[in-house]
Amino acid sequence: MNVTSKFDIIVVGAGPAGCASAYLLAKAGFKVLVLERGRGAGSKELWGGKAYAQPLREVWPELDKEAPIHRWVSKERFSLVWGERALTIEYKLGRKVAFTTYLTELVNWMARKAENAGAIIVDEVRVDEIVVKEGRVLGVKSGGDTVYADAVIDAEGVNRLLLEKLGLVEKLNPDHIALGVKEVLSLNPNLIEERFMLGKDEGLAWFVTGDVTLGLPGGGFIYTMRDSISIGLVLPIGPAAKAAEAGLLKEHVSSLVEAFRLHPYFRNLWREADVIEYGGRMTIEAGLKLMPRKLYMNGLLVVGDAAGFLVNTGYTIRGVDTAVTSGKLAAEALIEAFNNGGPTEENLKSYEEKVKKSYIYRELKNHSSIGDVMSDPFFFQKLPQVAIRAASKLFEADYEEPKLIRSFLDAAREEDVSSLKIIYKLGRVVGKL
Amino acid sequence: MRIAVGIKWVPNTQAVRFDPETGTLIRKGIPSIVNPHDLPAIEMALRLRDAVGGEVIAFTMAPPPAVKGLELALGMGVDRAILITDRVFAGADTLATSYVLANAISKVEREYGKVDLVVFGQETIDSSTAHIPGQVASWLDWPYVYYVKDIQVLGDGRIRVVRELEDYIEEYEIELPAVLGIAVRALKPRPVSLYNKLRAKLNKDTIVVWGNSELKLDPRCVGLKGSPTIVAKTIDMPEVPRKKEVYKPRDPRDAARWIVSKIVEDEKLRELLVKKLWGG
Ligand SMILES: Cc1cc2nc3c(=O)[nH]c(=O)nc-3n(C[C@H](O)[C@H](O)[C@H](O)COP(=O)(O)OP(=O)(O)OC[C@H]3O[C@@H](n4cnc5c(N)ncnc54)[C@H](O)[C@@H]3O)c2cc1C
Ligand SMILES: Cc1cc2nc3c(=O)[nH]c(=O)nc-3n(C[C@H](O)[C@H](O)[C@H](O)COP(=O)(O)OP(=O)(O)OC[C@H]3O[C@@H](n4cnc5c(N)ncnc54)[C@H](O)[C@@H]3O)c2cc1C
Repeated sequence: MNVTSKFDIIVVGAGPAGCASAYLLAKAGFKVLVLERGRGAGSKELWGGKAYAQPLREVWPELDKEAPIHRWVSKERFSLVWGERALTIEYKLGRKVAFTTYLTELVNWMARKAENAGAIIVDEVRVDEIVVKEGRVLGVKSGGDTVYADAVIDAEGVNRLLLEKLGLVEKLNPDHIALGVKEVLSLNPNLIEERFMLGKDEGLAWFVTGDVTLGLPGGGFIYTMRDSISIGLVLPIGPAAKAAEAGLLKEHVSSLVEAFRLHPYFRNLWREADVIEYGGRMTIEAGLKLMPRKLYMNGLLVVGDAAGFLVNTGYTIRGVDTAVTSGKLAAEALIEAFNNGGPTEENLKSYEEKVKKSYIYRELKNHSSIGDVMSDPFFFQKLPQVAIRAASKLFEADYEEPKLIRSFLDAAREEDVSSLKIIYKLGRVVGKL
Repeated sequence: MRIAVGIKWVPNTQAVRFDPETGTLIRKGIPSIVNPHDLPAIEMALRLRDAVGGEVIAFTMAPPPAVKGLELALGMGVDRAILITDRVFAGADTLATSYVLANAISKVEREYGKVDLVVFGQETIDSSTAHIPGQVASWLDWPYVYYVKDIQVLGDGRIRVVRELEDYIEEYEIELPAVLGIAVRALKPRPVSLYNKLRAKLNKDTIVVWGNSELKLDPRCVGLKGSPTIVAKTIDMPEVPRKKEVYKPRDPRDAARWIVSKIVEDEKLRELLVKKLWGG
């Protein structure tokens, strides 16, 4: 084979979505080329830290044994913090549902699986253009070189410059995306287990809301890895930019993460830990709104973040399992299309149908109204303040403890919010979470 | 023409942090890169090949991750690459390094045919001794010119090289084979191309790995054992903390006076600078 010969399929982007497609297609015997701009698959990845295992097992049944799993999430925690006060709820899981790891490691493993199945992965090459002629995708172009294929899978992630060029999507709207900034703190595994009360190989996922974001929409996360802790903040860009313009957000987001690391309620958990890594990356806030006009065209399929397939529930971000699942559905649709005469527009329609029938689409629809919550400052300012004040009345009574309802009503009054409004807003949000 | 180009896999010193306690560089977790000053050497080799035909072979002595550096050279258009790697080569000073590299050139000649030219970068960003090219030339007993800016192939087994120094330009005509050190920024390196990367990926023999079982060198002459250099003294260079002040005088002479007065008046800064510049 030489460089000008045609591939069956070219995958742009070796993220979870691209690797899943490439693996399944190579395993089915297709000539697959994966192009990745980073050095090594996974090198450009940054996430919070928790992957749901079952959708991944559907592609790699050997996942539990082979994948670089750091810890199985055995505890989920939620905290509301305001000032020096905090309210925390913890749930202990009964089975292995999700695991923590570095996405870089996980994607690297997925890429090796694809390579071992026969896919060719070329890294440190950026695709500049998806080549289309008379409505049909012919291949991809990088610099002055064009490589041809019967079909292209676009797995380029959230910043979809290629799809923009094709006119399949609009420019990203700041209200539909968020910025994540994180730090990795290295700590001895024994200390992690002691401080978070975890067994060996057990992990914790923690969602934090309140004034860690200065009352802006968004929240903080904490994940325990094998020998490190990942902490960070995710801020929807639209409201954060408005707050910055209004002079309410004066610092760089990284200093908010630093304040989170130094927060008195949390900081002892990672005492003596070293910051070994920090970074930022964009993520999706409103998946459904990011969906391209069409998920397919003659010779092209769009998978993963590029297609908006990320479920943001307001307290967790699920993008990896949905990316993998969409990669799998794309591979299945392509295999069927090749068996039916080729990846024509007509034959690839089944991909969109598969997606619409899958849990991805149901989940996206299910959580789509979370956007109303995320854009309402009430939930990030007044509500946490009322809740913390109510808790302080319950737990910081020197002589007389008020009844639960009294503490709530008093807190609302003191914060100058009508209790009816709170009940109304909460009633609406419960239906949306 | 068969041209070999030596590259070094170095920690990206721009990303290296300094440990003020031990006075050493923290290399852990720092991404490595091809020594930037080697890129003009690769470019020079490729231009010569493109002009007169032949092949370019990139080689490096380094631990296995350096294969990523060779992939970059292949992406630029180098024809084949050799990774020289073995535990016994570890801990080498420049003498032991150049000994291995020179022997690798001899093996290249045995495997692929006569080498006409070996090109190197001017120096590395992590050690910058600029010893390697000259030492390799000595081991091979080939002529050596450094700070080379331009090369013309004369056709009768000779080349003309242009060497640019601070205030004059020299031209040499030398017989091949020869070793050249290419000047920093002599040429703008070409970007990596998809076809070149793909060609390297599709052809399994583009990268070969040679250890000492291939080179068969006396273990006493390589690695730590073959390194007579001793580090007599290291002076800890303190990091001068940055302070930002902006002063915008009309007359640049006022700016000079202002800077000097800053240094003279601030005792701590003065000491730090003296230590940094002259080691105390
Ligand atoms: C802060 C943060 C926290 C998150 N936390 C979680 C979490 O805990 N759990 C979870 O499941 N998900 C999480 N996510 C989401 C998850 O990381 C993504 O949904 C997932 O990585 C999407 O996979 P993908 O394959 O579609 O795209 P990506 O992972 O973005 O991969 C795209 C790849 O394509 C490459 N590429 C792009 N353009 C080109 C081009 N032109 N040429 C060549 N290559 C190109 C990129 O370099 C990249 O490697 C988080 C995201 C962020 C930002
Ligand atoms: C006592 C002592 C102990 C040392 N121990 C170690 C050690 O344990 N580990 C370690 O990594 N280093 C060690 N070094 C440093 C190492 O010997 C030098 O970095 C190496 O010999 C190259 O020298 P340089 O970086 O100054 O290259 P220069 O001479 O400045 O490089 C000039 C050009 O030579 C070429 N070149 C340089 N190195 C290579 C190479 N390896 N392969 C191919 N081409 C090359 C490049 O084209 C480069 O531009 C030690 C040095 C000393 C003095």
